[in-house]
Amino acid sequence: MKVVALLRKVFLLDLFAGLAVTFRHQTPGAIVTEQYPLERPTLAPRYRGQPKLVKDPLTGEILCNACGACALACPEKLITVESERDPQTKKKVLTGYRFDLSRCMFCGLCEEACPTEALDLTPEYELALYSREGMVFEREQMENGLQRKVYEK
Amino acid sequence: MKQALFGYLQSKVTPGEAGDMLWATIYVLLVFAGVALAVLFMNWFERKVMAHMQVRMGPMRVGPHGLLQPIADALKLLLKEDVMPEKSDKLVFWFAPVAVCMTAFTAMLVVPFGRAHAITDMNIGVVFMLGVSSLSVLSIMMAGWSSNSHYPLLGGLRAGAQMVSYEIAMGLAVVSAVMLTSMSTGTGSLSMMEIVNQQFQQGRWFAFSFFPLGFIGFVVFAIAMVAETNRAPFDLPEAESELVAGYMTEYSGFRWSLFFLSEYTAMIAVSSIAVTLWLGGWLRPFPNLLSGHRWDLAFSWGPAFVALATAALCFFYVIKMSSIRAMRLNRLGLAALAAVLGALGLLMLLPPVASRIQDIFWFSIKVAGFMYLYVWYRTTFPRYRFDQLMKIGWKVLLPVSLGVVVLTALVGVRHELLPLVWRVR
Repeated sequence: MKVVALLRKVFLLDLFAGLAVTFRHQTPGAIVTEQYPLERPTLAPRYRGQPKLVKDPLTGEILCNACGACALACPEKLITVESERDPQTKKKVLTGYRFDLSRCMFCGLCEEACPTEALDLTPEYELALYSREGMVFEREQMENGLQRKVYEK
Repeated sequence: MKQALFGYLQSKVTPGEAGDMLWATIYVLLVFAGVALAVLFMNWFERKVMAHMQVRMGPMRVGPHGLLQPIADALKLLLKEDVMPEKSDKLVFWFAPVAVCMTAFTAMLVVPFGRAHAITDMNIGVVFMLGVSSLSVLSIMMAGWSSNSHYPLLGGLRAGAQMVSYEIAMGLAVVSAVMLTSMSTGTGSLSMMEIVNQQFQQGRWFAFSFFPLGFIGFVVFAIAMVAETNRAPFDLPEAESELVAGYMTEYSGFRWSLFFLSEYTAMIAVSSIAVTLWLGGWLRPFPNLLSGHRWDLAFSWGPAFVALATAALCFFYVIKMSSIRAMRLNRLGLAALAAVLGALGLLMLLPPVASRIQDIFWFSIKVAGFMYLYVWYRTTFPRYRFDQLMKIGWKVLLPVSLGVVVLTALVGVRHELLPLVWRVR
């Protein structure tokens, strides 16, 4: 056994094994990285990214019934639901919705708690912003997403 | 006038031997420009090969497939602020990068790129190269000491210890190869040209002489030269995890780029020693076995073949490259490169051109192989500890190279002297 180990050492067999590994991996097809701004990955639909308040595709009305289950479910207590009761229909109507993204850990509990599937964590992942204040999404941003200024070249 | 200008071109010797000052100067400039370009290309090549071995892309944005990246890098380095530490030894700090560059480029003086393609041929060529290139340790120590900082000092000390200990194994390996030059003539030579000529006359590269012996000598040199140029896995003087950047820590901008340049030039220089001594220098494969006019012509098309293959590869990637609008300029550039390479390849098919550049081609492709090995080692092997480094140098490489020298001498005597003695009797 000792002789075999010595021979392995003399003929640098372990080093050659390592060289073979690196040599095998250099085929261009094996590359796993992407050129990010030019090539964007398509993420799974259940990826938990930017939160969104979903509208009914048929009527265009917001699905949220202002029950506040999301605010209760949130472990970070970062969701604030503001509502008032409609005097005629006696139903709650959403008046304001605040989602503090800077504290969010994207656990998805709010999404699960929602009885009407009105809150959705979309696969949108580009959430970098210039200020902390901007991270607090109001109802408008929750419905329409981030409105970024697009610069012309 | 015309005779004075072009008279040299008819001769079959180097301008240094012919005593032609004009052409010697031109050759110096050509070698300098060629080596500097090779270093630029090597920068791109190393990053690219390393990236692919690590399953990533490497530079992709500056030029097609990042081909213009080294130029952008060089520009950035030249425009950077030139910082000199306040309490450094100003004169030595200034002189160290200059000296390291001088030594690295002086060593290229005797590199034989072809039968007539060297600046000069010295009868002590190998010794000159080893001597001059080992002077670079002096400038590295200067850089380490003059920076007046902890990490550079430690880096300089390590570089000194390492280069001195590997120099010995390297020198002994060179001796074993030089002894082989005396095989058929009885008198050996240290001249780089003569060593290659001897390999031609003996009909084999010295790496295959006395089978395991020449090869072991070559392997010892190949290991020692990696340590000598401070490259991974022996890059302890500039080990970034412990010494930041070693002796280069306090350097920035242009001075740093001089260190970079000389490191890669030294790599090319020691690789060309290895190629000249063991791998037949500028000789094409099988110059004796496959001799004759037809084989000569076939092998002289080697450079043309490589240029055309590279052009085809470029063209393939033009087609494969993503058609996003932002990449349009890159695609055009790559297509232009493919066209230029293709035209050059067709030009190289012409026999007069082919026969003139084939020496340079075979030499540089062998050196390029060593450059690839350097990169390959760097991606594969983790860095040695310093005691392991010293152990390999003194306890393994030195005894092995001593043994190779003694055995080569013994086998050589048996081969050459004994038949001679018998014939006299």
